[in-house]
Amino acid sequence: MRIQRRLTTPRWLVVAVPVASLIAAFAAAAIVLLIAGKDPGATYARLFDRAFIAPGAITSTLITATPLLFTGLAAAAAFRMRLWNIGGEGQLYLGAVGASGAGLFLRDQPPAVIIAGMVGGGLAAGAAWSSIPGVLKAYFKTNEIITSLMLNYVAGLLLTYLIFDSRSFWRELGTFSARAFPQGKQLPDAATWPTFDLGVAVIPFGFLLGLIAALGLWLFYRSTSFGFQARVLGDSPSAARYAGIKTRRVVVAMMALSGALAGVGGASEIGDFRHVLDPRGLQQAGFGYAGIVVAALARYNPFAVAVVAFLLGGLANAGYSLQGPDFPAGLVGVLQGMILFFALGGELLLRYRVSFRARLAAAPS
Amino acid sequence: MNPEVTAGAVPAVAMRSITKRFPGVLANDSVDFEAREGEVHALLGENGAGKSTLASILTGLYRPDAGDIEIYGRRVEFHSPRDAMAAGVSMVHQHFRLAASLTVADNIVLGHQAAPWLRASPRTIESQVTDLARRYRMPVNPTARIWQLSVGEQQRVEILKSLYRGARILILDEPTSLLTPQEADDLFETLRRMTAEGRTIVFVSHKLEELMAVSDRVTVLRGGRVVGTVETKSTTPPQLARMMVGREVVFAQSKEAHRMEGGEVVLELRGISADGDLGIKAVNDVSLAIKAGEIVGIAGVSGNGQRELAEAISGARRRSAGDVIVDGRSLRNGDPEDAIARGIAHVPEDRLGTGVSPSLSVADNLILKSHRRAPIATRGILRRQRIAANAKQLMSRFSVSAPGPDTPTRLLSGGNVQKVVLARELSSRPRAIVAANPTRGLDVGATESVRELLIKAAAGGVGILLISEDLDEVLALADRIAVIYEGRIAGVVPRDEADVQRIGLMMAGAPA
Amino acid sequence: MKRVTVLALAAMAMAACGGSSGGSTASSSAAFKAAWVYVGAASDAGWTKAHDDARLYVQQQLGGQLVTTFKENVPEGPQASQVIDSLVADGNKIIFGTSFGFQDQMDAAAKKYPNVYFEQATGFKMETNLAEFFGAAEDADYLTGMAAGAASKSGKIGFVAPFPIPEVIREINAFALGAQATHPGATVQVIWTTTWFDPAKEKSAAESLISAGVDVLGQGQDSPATGEAAKAHGLKWSGYDSDQTSFAPDQWLTGTVYHWGPYELTRIKAAMNGSWKSGSYYGSLKDGFVDIAPYGKSVDASTQAAINAKKAALINGTFYEFTGPLNDQSGAVKVPAGTKLTLDQILTMDWFVKGVIGNPKGS
Repeated sequence: MRIQRRLTTPRWLVVAVPVASLIAAFAAAAIVLLIAGKDPGATYARLFDRAFIAPGAITSTLITATPLLFTGLAAAAAFRMRLWNIGGEGQLYLGAVGASGAGLFLRDQPPAVIIAGMVGGGLAAGAAWSSIPGVLKAYFKTNEIITSLMLNYVAGLLLTYLIFDSRSFWRELGTFSARAFPQGKQLPDAATWPTFDLGVAVIPFGFLLGLIAALGLWLFYRSTSFGFQARVLGDSPSAARYAGIKTRRVVVAMMALSGALAGVGGASEIGDFRHVLDPRGLQQAGFGYAGIVVAALARYNPFAVAVVAFLLGGLANAGYSLQGPDFPAGLVGVLQGMILFFALGGELLLRYRVSFRARLAAAPS
Repeated sequence: MNPEVTAGAVPAVAMRSITKRFPGVLANDSVDFEAREGEVHALLGENGAGKSTLASILTGLYRPDAGDIEIYGRRVEFHSPRDAMAAGVSMVHQHFRLAASLTVADNIVLGHQAAPWLRASPRTIESQVTDLARRYRMPVNPTARIWQLSVGEQQRVEILKSLYRGARILILDEPTSLLTPQEADDLFETLRRMTAEGRTIVFVSHKLEELMAVSDRVTVLRGGRVVGTVETKSTTPPQLARMMVGREVVFAQSKEAHRMEGGEVVLELRGISADGDLGIKAVNDVSLAIKAGEIVGIAGVSGNGQRELAEAISGARRRSAGDVIVDGRSLRNGDPEDAIARGIAHVPEDRLGTGVSPSLSVADNLILKSHRRAPIATRGILRRQRIAANAKQLMSRFSVSAPGPDTPTRLLSGGNVQKVVLARELSSRPRAIVAANPTRGLDVGATESVRELLIKAAAGGVGILLISEDLDEVLALADRIAVIYEGRIAGVVPRDEADVQRIGLMMAGAPA
Repeated sequence: MKRVTVLALAAMAMAACGGSSGGSTASSSAAFKAAWVYVGAASDAGWTKAHDDARLYVQQQLGGQLVTTFKENVPEGPQASQVIDSLVADGNKIIFGTSFGFQDQMDAAAKKYPNVYFEQATGFKMETNLAEFFGAAEDADYLTGMAAGAASKSGKIGFVAPFPIPEVIREINAFALGAQATHPGATVQVIWTTTWFDPAKEKSAAESLISAGVDVLGQGQDSPATGEAAKAHGLKWSGYDSDQTSFAPDQWLTGTVYHWGPYELTRIKAAMNGSWKSGSYYGSLKDGFVDIAPYGKSVDASTQAAINAKKAALINGTFYEFTGPLNDQSGAVKVPAGTKLTLDQILTMDWFVKGVIGNPKGS
């Protein structure tokens, strides 16, 4: 068997491959389920039901999809120009720090001001954090994969420090409960982001913001001079320099943009869902790393990121409903992993041609 | 060199009725091709004629849609270059495939090593390489790293790599396009040694003089079909040219001496110096003045600072000293944007990697330098209709042949890529153009039209600095000829007084 | 292959029709349903395992009357809410949250689902249908400390601790006081790992304590990684959360363990017969909520006797470890002789007793 790169992708394949790979994923996972003694039909029915169909399922799915949308966009924005920002995780933490700081600082303002401040705070903090690897890459040629990844750990320790290890602005010191167990300050009610109840589902403000960001990112790459410069630089640095593009500036700006997106994701975690800076929950969730998978599955297309984030959110959400004493979390993980694996495998089929080598290959075709 | 010895015997290569289709293009249309053992067989054709496709099929890079291949009479089917290598067929590509940070010896054995415990010691490999190099007169230091080598030396490494792996049939794709005349002569000598041993060379080229000098037979392709195969002895360059382009070609293309005695100076270099990539001074105190409507040629052997000079002018490289003055005002150092804004167009030597952004569409590459400004962008927003209109207009005006404006530029032939670069650069209404090797690697037709465009631009009052390693090109186009040697201008002569002998001596570093 | 594909297609079709059959637990419609939400893996050999042991205990006690399930590795935050929603949708009538970080989601769920009982292990919030429960681990920690003190020759004991928070600080203090009871002048050197569960980090903390010269290790972590380090270096070791004898049988001393089961059994029974009332429960040695694990073979008979005597005294109230005089790290008197610390005081404890080496503020 050999694999060749496709020069062009036939249109029918673009539709057929994802469908076929999903079918293959479920078929293969069914074998695993049968071996584990589960009924694949019932398992899948429950998976789909809890992800997308049951009352409130979509609302629940959106809760996980929202941060994935932002971190997916953050990764897609950078990866599109071959800037490997692996730091979405830490940038999301910083966004949460910035947004909760802003929300606490502006506590006496009207809701619109607080919310705008939180979005701005998350955006700025995420951008500032990602600018560190950006500047290091642009001016000192350090590898952004390493620096952005390492800064995730630093950001995680910073979160822990702010709540567990210091008497910071974010830490609640007043209540008895907080003296017994360190906690962040609860944000005022006015800092709770609005939701939009569509009947079938409640849409968090953050998800809408994410959709707007997706549209913005698409327009940015397609229709702005700066996005054009990013595309050129991603494709050929020497052509970019030749065209008079300030390459360092573009690298720093694109890292900042990527971090800003992840940062707004962190702001949404605070404003939409947590309402408190919660170092443990944020670190357990690992949305930043999952965003890399989202971006890869979406082939860096912002709209596809939204779709993939929604599907993965559903898969994660429904995964918990499968779990139980006789359905270990590990098996759920295998199921989720197989679905992702096949989706990525299908991706390969789109870009490469796989041909099986016949032994008696003498006959001309 | 002795075709009669093997005439009648089984051919080394026989390709029959090869057909290969790419989306929208029939690259090879039922091509028959035969190369005898021990001959140099030239494959001639314009860019896009199907030479490279045929060569790629022979080396297993592509699979033909129809047709058979026989190697020494045995039917083969190659699925990869590895299969072809196993049958003794190897290709030296126009763009080398060497790992820059590894040594020559490492590159030669790379991908061809046995399991670790069976590997020869580095010293053994080095001595094998040295022996091989001596046998074919290709001096190269096996412990040198690739990035330290000149283009000619890198090519030797590529050829040695093929020989080391036991290639009996070597395909060379435009092997002289990056070589100096002396390096080319050395290469031909090497090829003769190889054929004398019974190896077969398929020599892909579109340079008539060199294939007249080196080949035994020539097969001419045009539009994906074979026009004919002729014995080199019994043909002439004009006949081959006719076969290749399907019409008579006038080679005496040259610029009418465009005397604009009173022409103002548009581009002046005042004592500029610049360092090369390795931090060694590559351009040393160069001063020149180019007037409107004038073409000043810079002749010289490759690697004497030409690329660095062009970059120092266009801003892509910082100058360590001196000024570039356009219309009386100095350009900001190391700032290509300033040079672009002040009307300095640049046709870079590396057209696919630098002149265009290869994965971007033709339309996008046509706005590579104007993407910030009206009318292409207003307030930072690209105007898509204007980009499309610009592409449509420039593609037809400069006859860029591409499936469409949205085609990724890397899929275009070399000539068309260069047309995209020129269309963009010339349409920006420049004051001066710095053109580095603008026709290198292009076929006769494309060369002709590129030169035409430059001459027309000069006639329109643009000052042109033509940096070319092709002395004939400089002699044909330039009003004045400056010779560069080791980063310095060794002398400047007007074309009427140009004496090839003297220029050649200056190029070689002899005191003028 | 073909048949499986058809199967998968059928599954999707079923899902599309909104069928929601199947589930993680074989259900008999009459049985009462109870669920546990775990922050770690049920097999973590520590905190979460202790909770899962309780679930199994309850299940065993009530047999067919009860159906139990659990969700593991649930991140604190909005995902916990999703999980609780899903559990309620599955018909669970009582839900146990087993991490402090679930408190807000449990509280929100209690308001959202008034007909479901919620039980939050470790926390402070209460609703009419949300109760809170935890145990006086410090009493057991004191006894564990006694075993550690007796096992130490040099009097230098190491302690691998998660976070500098009152819950952990009072455990360390009780442990140190216990150690000093059997080995006067013993010191307890603390390293903060800033994680509840990270075996690699815990192990390396234990290794650095060993290289600092301690000869017995204690821990407040949720994994038995400290025991692995102790085993590798032949040191005695006391555990936490559940009986971890099997990880290093020759090194094992004892450890503080939680028996969440009996409390949970009572509560589920109350929920089943409708007598459930909210409340805040602080279990003790007396009711068996906390205890020490079975002694390891290296705890000699006289130490065992001394520990058992102290245990009896703690149970009948004649002894309380946080009774003055207690000195802080500097040696200054913090609690005058005869004064007993109140529950609120120990719940917010932020200082170390004399003999503890480390910073109660962290790092």
